[in-house]
Amino acid sequence: MNGFIIETDKTGLQKFYEEIIGKFETYAPVEKFGKYDYKKVSKLGECDPDSPIEMTMSVKPLFFPKTAKVMKFKEDNTGTTVSETDEDPLTGQRVILGVKHCDARGLQVLDQVYKWDYIDTDYQKRRKNTLIISTRCNKAGTQCFCTSLDYDVENSDAHDIRIVNGLNGKIYIQAVTEKGETFLKASSIKHQASASNATEELSKQYKSFESSFRLKMNYSEVNAKLQKLFDSPEFETISSNCIGCNTCAFICPTCHCFKITDERIKDTGVRYKSYDSCNNGYFTLMAGGHNPRPVKYRRWRQRALHKFVYYKERFGMNLCVGCGRCAISCPVNISIFDVVNQVANV
Amino acid sequence: MDYSKQIQEIASKLFAENKIDYFVGYKQNSFDDSQVPFLITDPAEIPKLVFTDRSVFNLANYLKPDHTKRKRVGLVVKGCDSRALNLLLTEGQVKRENVYIIGVCCEGVLNDKREKAQNCVECVMPDPVVYDEMLGTPSGKKKYTVNVDIKELAKMALNERADYFESIFENCIRCNACRHSCPLCYCAKCCLDQETSTLYHGANTSSGAMHALMTWSLHLAGRCVDCRNCEKACPSHLPLHLLHKQNENVIYENFQQHLAGMEKDDRGAFYKYSLSDPDDFIL
Amino acid sequence: METEVKEVKEKIVSVENPGITAPNGWQPVIIGILCNWCSYAGSDLTGTSRIQYPPNIRIIRVPCSSRVDPWFIIKSLQTTADGVLISGCHPGDCHYISGNYYARRRFLVTKKLLNFVGYHENRVQFSWVSAAEGPKFAKVVAKVTEDIKKLGPLYRYKKENF
Repeated sequence: MNGFIIETDKTGLQKFYEEIIGKFETYAPVEKFGKYDYKKVSKLGECDPDSPIEMTMSVKPLFFPKTAKVMKFKEDNTGTTVSETDEDPLTGQRVILGVKHCDARGLQVLDQVYKWDYIDTDYQKRRKNTLIISTRCNKAGTQCFCTSLDYDVENSDAHDIRIVNGLNGKIYIQAVTEKGETFLKASSIKHQASASNATEELSKQYKSFESSFRLKMNYSEVNAKLQKLFDSPEFETISSNCIGCNTCAFICPTCHCFKITDERIKDTGVRYKSYDSCNNGYFTLMAGGHNPRPVKYRRWRQRALHKFVYYKERFGMNLCVGCGRCAISCPVNISIFDVVNQVANV
Repeated sequence: MDYSKQIQEIASKLFAENKIDYFVGYKQNSFDDSQVPFLITDPAEIPKLVFTDRSVFNLANYLKPDHTKRKRVGLVVKGCDSRALNLLLTEGQVKRENVYIIGVCCEGVLNDKREKAQNCVECVMPDPVVYDEMLGTPSGKKKYTVNVDIKELAKMALNERADYFESIFENCIRCNACRHSCPLCYCAKCCLDQETSTLYHGANTSSGAMHALMTWSLHLAGRCVDCRNCEKACPSHLPLHLLHKQNENVIYENFQQHLAGMEKDDRGAFYKYSLSDPDDFIL
Repeated sequence: METEVKEVKEKIVSVENPGITAPNGWQPVIIGILCNWCSYAGSDLTGTSRIQYPPNIRIIRVPCSSRVDPWFIIKSLQTTADGVLISGCHPGDCHYISGNYYARRRFLVTKKLLNFVGYHENRVQFSWVSAAEGPKFAKVVAKVTEDIKKLGPLYRYKKENF
C-alpha cells in the first residue's frame, strides 16, 4: 500500500529527523571504527541515516539482540525456582532511521519463523512498538543483489515510511503503511509546493538505482535447480577456503540461530540467549558425541540451501535478502551469490 | 612485486611431478583489486593464481590440522607468514615433509586504503625463514620499532585508556573470526568456545568480550607474528593489534629481544626461560 | 610493613572509576592463588605460628605457580575480586624444578597488559614465599590488602550481576 508523498528538501528532512529524535526514542547508524551500528541517538549530528550499505551493520540486533536474558533461576533444597528477568523487551514506542530496504525486508522474512511453532513474544513486542523509516539507497553496493530476488524492492511494504533522494535534488517522504501514514500526518513536516510529479520522480530514481547493480541472477531458475542439487560436488570446491569463523551468520539480517548458556554464582544464575552460527563445527554436536555435519562443506551446503531453498519452501519467502554483507565481512570474501550460481549453473 | 608467473610455473611442476595434493595461493577477487586465498586440487585452475602487493591474507592458516589433514600441501608465504609456519612446524602441527614452501621476499602489502599496511612499515623480517624455494632477493632482518599506536596509548591517563578499551570490547560480537583466521590458534576445542561451561562466559556480553579477547591475546603472547589476519577478519573493525603489539613489546624489551618464529626450532617466548629474567616487580 | 591494616578514615574512591565511592564499611576481597609446596605451606606456618594477617584474602591452592593461566586472574577480577595475589616458590626452589621460571615471564606480560587495558597496576601482585617464611606471608598479605584498600573497590569491566 503506497500512501501519500511529501516533497521537501535537505533542510526539511533534517528538521523532520530532529523532530523525531526530540519526541521519540530513536535509533540511527552511528559510526565507530569505520562501521555504522544502530545505536540510540540524542542529536542528529551523532548519526548518519545515509550511511553506505557496505559499512552498515544490519538492524537485526534491535529485534533479536546479540545477548538477551531469558530467565533467572535459584536453587534451594526444595527445588529450583524460575523467575522473569528484569530486562524489559521494550514497552515504549521507538523509531529507527536510515534502515535499508533489504534490512526491512529481512524483518518481514524473520516474522514468519517467529510466529510459526513458538510465538516469540519479546520479538513480537519489539516489532509492534517500532516504526521503521527507510531510506532507499542511491546506488547499489558492490555485493548487493536485492533486485534479483523474489521481492518487489520498488514497492516494498516492509517499512512504514520511505525516504527517497530524488534525482532532481528534492527529497520525497512517502507513507507506506497505515502506521506510517498516521505518523506522518501527526508530524509537523510540510509539503513544499512544486511543479514536479512526485510519483514520476520516485520511479526515475528507482530506475537509476536498479541500473547500478553489478550482480544480477535469475532467481527462479537458481531456486528450481538448487532443489535437485543436494549432492553436487561443487559445494566442496566452493567452500574450500572457508575458515569457519561464524561472521556471516552473525551479521546477516535474517540468520536467527542462537545458543543458550547459563551464568551461575553458586545457587543463583541467569540464562542467556546469544547468537550462534550453523557454520560452527560444533553447532550440530549432540550429547553422546554424534555430529551429523562434521565436515565444512556440509555446513556450507546447509547454509546455502537454507537461504535459497528450504525457507522458501516452508514460508514462501527467500531467506537471503541480497544485502551482500556476508561477502564483504567474510575474511576471505566468499559470496553466497557466487556459491549458489556456481552450484546451479554447473 | 609480482611473482604470479613464477608461482604458476612452480605449481604446475609440483602437480606434474605429483608432489602435492593441494596448492594454496591467492586469486583475484571478483569485485575489486584485492585478493583472496585459493585452494586448488585441479591443475587446470593454476592460471588463476596471482601474487602481488595485494596478497595480504596469511596462508599458513590453511595448514591447521582440520583444513588439510595428512595431505601434501604446496603454499606461498611471505616473511611474516613463514614465521607463523615455522612455529607450526616446531609445535608439531605440520610435518615438514608434507609441505612444500615457496617463500617470497616481501616488499610490503597494501591495506584496504591502498597504503602500505602498518605491520609492513614496522616489519622485522620480510624474508622467509623456512622455505623450499625462495623468490626475490633477501634484504635481511630489520630493526625493531615500537608500534606507534601503543606508544600513543601509553601516554594517555589510565582511565582515558580504559574508556577507549571499553568501547572496543563493547563492539565485539563474539563471532570468533579473529581466532579462526589466526594461523597459530589451532586448538581443537578452544577454551573460549566452551559454550556450555559457565567458567568461560559463553554469552555474548561486553565483559565476556573483554575476557575472551584478553585471554586470547595472552595465550598467543610470544607466538604472534603480527600478520594482521585477525584485524582484517574482524567484522566490527576492532584494532586487535593493540593487545598483541603490547605483549610483543614487553617480551622484546624484557626477554632477550625475543621475536616469535625467527629461528629454526624456535618456540614461543613462554616456552623458555632465562635465569636473568626480571622479577623486581615480585614481592 | 606491619601486619595490621590501618583503618582508612577518609572516603575511598574507586581509582579506575573516580565517580564512585566505596560503601561504608567496605572491605576488599582478594583472591590468593598459592603454590602448594612453598607458599601454601608458608601460609600454613603463618597460621600455626599464630601470626595475624588481614582476613580479606581467599586462598586457592594450585600445584605450582606455573599452573596459573592468565584467565584465572582476568576471571577473578571480573567477578568478586578487587585484587589478586599470586605466590610461588623462590627461583631455584621450585618443586617441579623450573615451573616458577616460566611463570615469572607470564606474570610480567599479564601485569603489563592488564595495566594497559585499564586496571591499576597494584590490582594484581606477585610474591615469592617459601615454606619457612611464615612472617613474610603475613607481611605480603598486609601490604597487598593495604594497597587494594587505597585503590578502592573495582568496578571496571565487572561481569553483570557482580
